[in-house]
Amino acid sequence: MAAIFDRKRLAPLKDTVAIVGVGETDYGADYRGAGGKAMAKGEARYDSYTLASRALKRALDDAGLKKDDIDGLCTGPTLSGERASELWGLNPRWSGSGDAAQGIIEAAMAIHCGLCTTVALVYGNAQRSMDTAYGGARVTGGGITSYFYYAPWGLTSQGALYALFFQRHKLLYGTTEEQLGAIAVAFRKHACLNPNAVMYGKPITIDDYMNAKYVAEPLRLYDYCLINDGGVAIIVRRADMAKDLKHKPVMVSGFGWSEENVDATQLRPRLKDFYHTAHHGVAQQMYPMAGVTPKDVDVFATYDSFSVHLLAALEGFGFCKEGEGGAFVQNGRIEIGGELPCNTSGGMLSESYMQSWNHQPELVRQLRGGLGARQVQGAEVAQYVHDVAGKCKSIIYTKGA
Amino acid sequence: MATPRPIRSMDPYAQAFWAYTQKKEFRLQQCSECHKFRWPPGPSCDHCLSDQCAWALMKGRGTVLSWTTLHRAYFPEYPAPHTSIVLELDEGPLFVSYPVGIDAATLREGMVLTLQWTDGEDTFGPYHLPVFGPVAA
Repeated sequence: MAAIFDRKRLAPLKDTVAIVGVGETDYGADYRGAGGKAMAKGEARYDSYTLASRALKRALDDAGLKKDDIDGLCTGPTLSGERASELWGLNPRWSGSGDAAQGIIEAAMAIHCGLCTTVALVYGNAQRSMDTAYGGARVTGGGITSYFYYAPWGLTSQGALYALFFQRHKLLYGTTEEQLGAIAVAFRKHACLNPNAVMYGKPITIDDYMNAKYVAEPLRLYDYCLINDGGVAIIVRRADMAKDLKHKPVMVSGFGWSEENVDATQLRPRLKDFYHTAHHGVAQQMYPMAGVTPKDVDVFATYDSFSVHLLAALEGFGFCKEGEGGAFVQNGRIEIGGELPCNTSGGMLSESYMQSWNHQPELVRQLRGGLGARQVQGAEVAQYVHDVAGKCKSIIYTKGA
Repeated sequence: MATPRPIRSMDPYAQAFWAYTQKKEFRLQQCSECHKFRWPPGPSCDHCLSDQCAWALMKGRGTVLSWTTLHRAYFPEYPAPHTSIVLELDEGPLFVSYPVGIDAATLREGMVLTLQWTDGEDTFGPYHLPVFGPVAA
């Protein structure tokens, strides 16, 4: 398929919007509950709107803005836009729904067009309280997806699909399970520097990783993300209105979007391509728009419902060659203090499974600076990679003035 | 009663696929205009958008592309451990199934497996499930 994006039209959107406020709920405290133990699944204490509302209030406070400053709204997939607007007393002039990266890109487009100036992106998910199932008989959907299509043969869950992905990577490149383990260990180390993380205070070693049980072999327990309740909000504002607020703005300097859905149910893009066609499509748009290359990225985050995502993203965006992801993630390279610190909050594996949303506040704070032991020194360029089964977007954030 | 299995995703196109399995025929749709095979079944060709297709009989032979063993019982019908495989059929499509007559530890990339039938039943009724095993010696 021909690349038809127009670099000349994309380029002027560089730095036209900024992130001016971020907020999230108390992931760790909510997970552990009053007794200090992990809350049981299905023990409803909140709904998704409770968590989203809390995050929105905190993001507005963080920005130093009032609710009435918001004229655009993008909600995560668990919320109804109408109910959320009603709940928060908003009559938006633009609204959307999607993942965090989609929300940021679409907010930039809406602001650029003049439809609105200040967009609240809000997510809430009481998935632990509601005992949401991501595999088995309770996973249902509107039609065909590989998520549940193969139930008659006993294959289910996104985890099993990423296990097939990693098995293929092992077969083609000789990547080892111990190499993959370095990812879960690094993210857990980062979570231990983040008091709000669900897994704060619970470090793991590579031996712990290797001794953990398989869920979908060759993936083990620690390759899987958490299931916890939480909410996140992000305030995106027109760049010329983003100065003189509480924090220095963080600029949205580049973005790209590319999906690889042909033969998705067959798992062809997953197993034959590791979704690299989508990664390359995004990279071709985003890096030139932002005027940076992978070498300029100081802090990196990827969607990580499974550890495997990092291998795919690093190889697909050119941080290493295809097949070399397993070697790349060794020896502290992806840890804070290493060459490319990845998922510095602990990510979805160890901070909070906010389905892309928790990564954005972390990158914003890394660029603001002042995170203490978790701070990536001198961070000026941050990249987020969103890749959910080949639906890929990525964003370059830079430190604003 | 046939072996209970987790429910099939059913639509008019899937119904046709499963109807052929009643006769132990492993057939996939093939576009009548550009001849591309497709799976899962659907209303039109993703290559040329033609809605004309034939149900072509597959050779029932494929090579192993990847596999995973579930160590958690997601379905009561499939106690753990349960291994799933992805095959590349000789005709081109990738096909998810499970291996029979071979231990997960002895699966190898590129190994040739051939079609076998086992029984299944869900709320849509009894049927035959296509599974794959080593070529008979």
